[in-house]
Amino acid sequence: MEKELKVGIGDMKLTRGEGRIITYALGSCIGISFYDPAIKLGALLHIMLPERQSPTDSSLFKYADTGIQETLRKLKAFGMVKPRTIVKIAGGAKMFAIKGNASFGNIGERNAAKVKQILRAEGLRLVAEDTGGTYARTMLVDVATGKVTIKSFGKPEKYL
Amino acid sequence: MKIKNYEDMNLQELDVMREISSIGTSHAATALSKLLQKEIRISIPTVSILGYNEALSRIGNAEEIVAATLVKMDKDVEGLMLFLFDMNFAGTVLKTLLGQEFTSFEEMDHLAYSALEEVGNIIICSYINAFSKLVDVDIALSVPSSTVNMLGGILTVPIAEYGHETDKLMYFNADFVMEGKKLSDWLLMLPDIKSLNAILGKLGV
Repeated sequence: MEKELKVGIGDMKLTRGEGRIITYALGSCIGISFYDPAIKLGALLHIMLPERQSPTDSSLFKYADTGIQETLRKLKAFGMVKPRTIVKIAGGAKMFAIKGNASFGNIGERNAAKVKQILRAEGLRLVAEDTGGTYARTMLVDVATGKVTIKSFGKPEKYL
Repeated sequence: MKIKNYEDMNLQELDVMREISSIGTSHAATALSKLLQKEIRISIPTVSILGYNEALSRIGNAEEIVAATLVKMDKDVEGLMLFLFDMNFAGTVLKTLLGQEFTSFEEMDHLAYSALEEVGNIIICSYINAFSKLVDVDIALSVPSSTVNMLGGILTVPIAEYGHETDKLMYFNADFVMEGKKLSDWLLMLPDIKSLNAILGKLGV
C-alpha cells in the first residue's frame, strides 16, 4: 500500500519519492504544500495562527511565521532548491459569522494574508490557492506528482 | 489559586464545573423536552479538558459532517458556546419537529437548517440561564450563528480564538435519551481563562 502521512493541527510532515500527505478539515487554518519536482520532495504544513507571540512557545508549526521558517529549514536539509519549489495553499475559511461583530472569525483571512506575505518575502512561488469561503477543506498532496486535491462538503473535488 | 490553563484546575474545581454543567444540561434537556413534547432523560455529564487532536477524536472524526450553533458570551463571562448535532441527533429532532425524515445533512433544506439553529440556540440559552443564576453572573449572548460542515473545521474556531492562551478545549458531554434512543449532546463551553478564574472565584472554590 502506498504510504500516507497524516498532518494534525499545528503540525508538518514531509516525504520524498512517493506517497501522500494529507491534512483533514482545514477551517480557518491554512494548509501549505511545498513541492520540489526535481527531487520529488514534498511537505505539508498545517498552521492555525498568523504569528507566534511568545518566544518560549515551542509549538513552531502552529504559527505561519515560525512554521514556514522551520519547514523551509527542514526541506533545505533534504536538498530542496527554492527557485524550483512550488507552493500551494488552502483553507482560511470563515466558519461562523456573528451579526454585529464583524471582526469575529476573521482569523482565516488574517492567516491567508500573513502566509502570502511570508511566501513573498521568502521569494517562494505561490502557484495555486483555494482560500476563503465558509467551509472546511481536506487537503491531500501526492508526492509522486505534486498534485494537490481539495475535498469539501457538498462540493466537487478540486485540483490545485 | 489563579488558573493559567484549563488543565491547571484541580479535582475540586473540576467537580464544581461538572456540577454546574449538570444543572445547565438538565435545564437544556427540559427546554428541549418542552419543545419536542417528548420525555428526555439525561446521563450525568462529563467534563473533559483535552488537547485539540484528542478532543476531536473523542467527539468524532475530522471529516464527519455535523451541524453546529455558536454563540458568543460577553459581559461577566467572555467566551464561546458551541453546540454540535451529529446526524443521529439532528435527524431525531427534525423528525419530531417537522415530521420529516432525513438520513443525511445534504438532503436538508433551509427550513431544516434553521430549525436546528433554533434548537441549538434554545439549548445554549437555557444552559446559560441556569448557569448565570447559579453562579450569579450576568452573561450577554450574541445572535446565534450556525453552519453545517466538517467537525474538524468547526472545532478550530474556538481553538484559534484562544490559540495564544491555550491548546486545550473544555467541553461537557451528556447523553440525552429520548424514546429509548441515545442522543449525544456535545456542548462546548469555552470561557476565556480570565472568566474561568472569575467563575471559580465567585463560587469560592
